[in-house]
Amino acid sequence: MRVLLKMNNLQEYLAGLLDDPCNEVVEQAVAYGMIPLGYTCSLIPEPVLSAGRLFPLRLRAPGVSGTETADIYLSSVICSYTRSLLELALDSKYDFLKGWVFAASCDHLRRLYDNLGYLNKPEFSFILDVPHKNNEAAMEWLELELEKLRTALSSHFNIDMSDEVISTSIKENNIMLAELRSIGDMRKEAMPLFTGTEFHRLMMALQAAPRKLLSDIPGRFRDAALKRGGAGKFRARFMIVGGELDDPAYTGVIESMGGRVVADRYCTGSFPGLEPISESGKPLAAIALYILEKNRCPRMMEEFDRRADYIINIAREYSADGIIIQTIKFCDTWGVESSLLVAALRDAGIPVLRLEREYRTGGEGQLRTRVQAFIESMKK
Amino acid sequence: MNRQKPGIADAFILLKHKIINWAVILGMVFRRGVYYMLLDLKRYPWMMDLLKVNRLLNKFAAGRTGNYRKAVSLVVTQVTKDMVELLEGIFHHRDRLVIHEDMVPPEILRAMGLKPWMPEILGILLPMMDPSVMEKYIDAAENEGIPPDLCSLPKATMGLAVKGYIPVGQAIVTSNLPCDGGMNSYALIEKKLKLPTFRLDIPYNFYNDEAEVYFAGELRRMISWLEKHTLGKMDWNLLREICIERNRMAEIELELWDMIRQKPAPVSAEAVYISHLWGFNVFPGYKSSTELFRKIASLAKGNLDKGIAAVQDEKYRALLWNPPTMHFIDLFAWAEQAYGVSLIMDSMSYNRLPFIDTENEETMLRGLGRNIMQGPMARHTRGPMENFFDDMFHIVKAFDIDMIFLAGHIGCKNTQALNGILREKARELGLPVLIIDYDLSDTRIVPRTGIMAQVDHFMENVMNTKKRI
Repeated sequence: MRVLLKMNNLQEYLAGLLDDPCNEVVEQAVAYGMIPLGYTCSLIPEPVLSAGRLFPLRLRAPGVSGTETADIYLSSVICSYTRSLLELALDSKYDFLKGWVFAASCDHLRRLYDNLGYLNKPEFSFILDVPHKNNEAAMEWLELELEKLRTALSSHFNIDMSDEVISTSIKENNIMLAELRSIGDMRKEAMPLFTGTEFHRLMMALQAAPRKLLSDIPGRFRDAALKRGGAGKFRARFMIVGGELDDPAYTGVIESMGGRVVADRYCTGSFPGLEPISESGKPLAAIALYILEKNRCPRMMEEFDRRADYIINIAREYSADGIIIQTIKFCDTWGVESSLLVAALRDAGIPVLRLEREYRTGGEGQLRTRVQAFIESMKK
Repeated sequence: MNRQKPGIADAFILLKHKIINWAVILGMVFRRGVYYMLLDLKRYPWMMDLLKVNRLLNKFAAGRTGNYRKAVSLVVTQVTKDMVELLEGIFHHRDRLVIHEDMVPPEILRAMGLKPWMPEILGILLPMMDPSVMEKYIDAAENEGIPPDLCSLPKATMGLAVKGYIPVGQAIVTSNLPCDGGMNSYALIEKKLKLPTFRLDIPYNFYNDEAEVYFAGELRRMISWLEKHTLGKMDWNLLREICIERNRMAEIELELWDMIRQKPAPVSAEAVYISHLWGFNVFPGYKSSTELFRKIASLAKGNLDKGIAAVQDEKYRALLWNPPTMHFIDLFAWAEQAYGVSLIMDSMSYNRLPFIDTENEETMLRGLGRNIMQGPMARHTRGPMENFFDDMFHIVKAFDIDMIFLAGHIGCKNTQALNGILREKARELGLPVLIIDYDLSDTRIVPRTGIMAQVDHFMENVMNTKKRI
């Protein structure tokens, strides 16, 4: 691991972990007898999937080149993240997984759950029903759902999922989140020590491999950034907002035009993903509260203003010059949300660029042109 | 082939209903007053389009004779009368007007003394009368930044909100049904109307006791919220009456379904499905809705007793899946004539729900909740795919269906994502399925002729049948 003292080497290592769903650390974990579980949405509680020998993997579709087979089943009007996952599943790329855990988060992911069950039924599959509202009744409902998930995992994999085990998992998870949060906070500096792409890669790698085996990585990242002493010049500071974005190359294209991504409010980003879960009280109640209180997903029905304020506050806290909203084509929730967000952000005096994209990073030329024009429109 | 030709008596049926429809409309103008009516027409330009109701009558009556023609004409006239009542709610009771999403049935609102207005009703009804009429509202929503790929019904409704054409009531009640597009559209509508909004949350798995209890709780919370934000006050006795009347209507509908199980069916298509769409979703619990069903059932019985088929030489019995092709609402009037296809049942009408138990407040709320959660479309777009396929293949058996017409609305991603599985399952069962590529409310995607061409292709190549006309 000595080679990871330098940022470039560390980044190369992290990028390697993102090349294949079954990367070397996952293989190593499986060899140790650990059990990999795939999940597709931020509403899935990682600490539950990290109990005992279990470990969660945020499902991505690296290297997917087309979705011809998935389109036959899901049609071509479904979000390409969903289609890409099905394509790779049909290509046996996720066969190493011992189970899939879904959330009934959106129409597209729900239908992925259905199609996967029909075409390539996983050994273990569960769909968590997360309410679309945040109130006492919803909290009780979600707690019951989490209880069902716990029971299903415990009985299928024959592991101890007691309150104590989950509480320990929450504590371990919180330690990692706190470390990542403190690194993320470094982006508030006038000249951040690392790029948004580098941070994005760090975040993704820690979701694409068992964190228990990568616990030293955040520290190494911080050390390497401090040692390097700077990440170069830029013209404008950006916050990226939107749904699923798991390819650091997309952030890379934005930064290649002189942008510096200093805040990330998307499904796999640090906002609100790095907020801690309460360690007091019953663990499943704490997780239910966390899911309903902390998530900022537009599938939650009553919280548009809260979500918009959250974004505006972060943009100000991190001195973002502008916000880039990126959404995957055909995403209904983000499709409506982003049209309202554009208006809300402009009202708040924040420049906004709205981009629609496919899951797989492509059309780089167009993206560069749009970002360049955006930076120029801000007179940066 | 010996096809039925409408005679003088049939022409008289049509004329009679046209006159009734105009009389109903003129009655409304008289009660409102010409001056205020003109102001209303300026404020809500879509009211002009509603005046085209007799075009709908023409479409439904085309090629139909006798009792079948009477039945479809009755449906249109009932729609006309009820629309007038809804409009008068806007004119005269704005202080009690509540905007409700199409998947939130109005029984509770009515029991609270509130006047319901369903904004989606225009996106459903107007394209039936004038196929292209919603396109300007769709464009308005897209110009506001709403993605073009979103379902055109919520898009058109958002367009109405953008243009300021949705009546501003006192509050909004909406839900997470039937899809993400519909659910999220109310974020924009709420902003535009600037009204307090309550949202019902329907769980993913709803075929269980826990979900029923949870959702009855949601309905209670909605009632409390409405009592706080509107002039409405819950009258449980009135709710009981509404539920009892609704049960009566459901009972007659079951009798009607028993009759259309017979081959050939004594009535079909709009007489069965528009009556359901309207009676159960827009005017449930009204004596007039029950009466409509009673009349249709009686006409069906008349045909059955005399051995008269709705579609002479009924050759194929079809199941329509998904909402009907709104801008080509006479698809089956045409298919009856062209191929002898009789539309027996559709996914929007069929359900297997028990009647609402009116014993006490809780049983009524649970019954109503069950009707919402497990109602047509709601159960097909929420929950696992079994909800969709089990129902579909059950109907095929129960009604002796020969083929499925699936209205493959391009904006309905939820159901588009099941088409692959459907093809395979249907192939295993030897069941012919036509997936019609089109858009629910936008003729620019696939026009009427495009839909006809798809049907022609299917009938000629898959069903190996010749066109009759």
